Amino acid sequence: MSDSRDRQYTNGEITVFWKPAKCIHATTCFRELIEVFNPGRRPWVNMNGAPTRRIIEVVNKCPTQALEWKRNEDLSPEEQEAQFLNTKEELTPETLPQGAAEPENEVVPDVQTPSATLKIMPDGPIVVEGVFSVVDGDGTTLRQTPMTSICRCGKSHSMPYCDGTHRKIGFTDEK
Amino acid sequence: MNMEKEKVRLEVIKGGPLRVQGNFRLVGKDLPDGTGETDIYLCRCGGSSRKPFCDGTHKRTGFAE
Repeated sequence: MSDSRDRQYTNGEITVFWKPAKCIHATTCFRELIEVFNPGRRPWVNMNGAPTRRIIEVVNKCPTQALEWKRNEDLSPEEQEAQFLNTKEELTPETLPQGAAEPENEVVPDVQTPSATLKIMPDGPIVVEGVFSVVDGDGTTLRQTPMTSICRCGKSHSMPYCDGTHRKIGFTDEK
Repeated sequence: MNMEKEKVRLEVIKGGPLRVQGNFRLVGKDLPDGTGETDIYLCRCGGSSRKPFCDGTHKRTGFAE
């Protein structure tokens, strides 16, 4: 699905696609490779900051496919054309409104494995994946998606969800 | 037999931690790799001294959201 906020970046060899609507602020990209993925900079993706191989490695770790990549020879004509349209103001993982992630796939029923995984991101949020619901004290369901991220720093403006504030305030797991 | 997985319940306790109930896996640095049915309480205020778990600090600091 195309979104006017979507962006793509190339180094002539591969193209990285950025879909803000899918981002849950897992922060994997910039913790792994700040030379390329730096939300404090515009554009926030610098394709010359690291070798292609390394960029691919980190993009593959994005838990939500907010970041994806393709070899340039595999681009569709529309994607090739879009290489030249990256001039508008862009969102970064920190300026996104939270809660934009859409459910993508049906979760496959399985009784062997845990229903959901909660990942404590170092100095960051709790990333939850699987079959779960987020409820408030009255038991009212707040959110039911295959993935979300819950604030751990106490300062998000989109409570109870992460909005990237932990990085601005330098939240740390140190006790 | 019902093959649907039981949903894990994440309860956002107002001004307090996140209570997690159900069959879930908790993954993180320095955490034992465990899967369980036990309830856990995860810190949301940022102030706990036993992160990622709640230690009641939110009551002292008056965590407001």
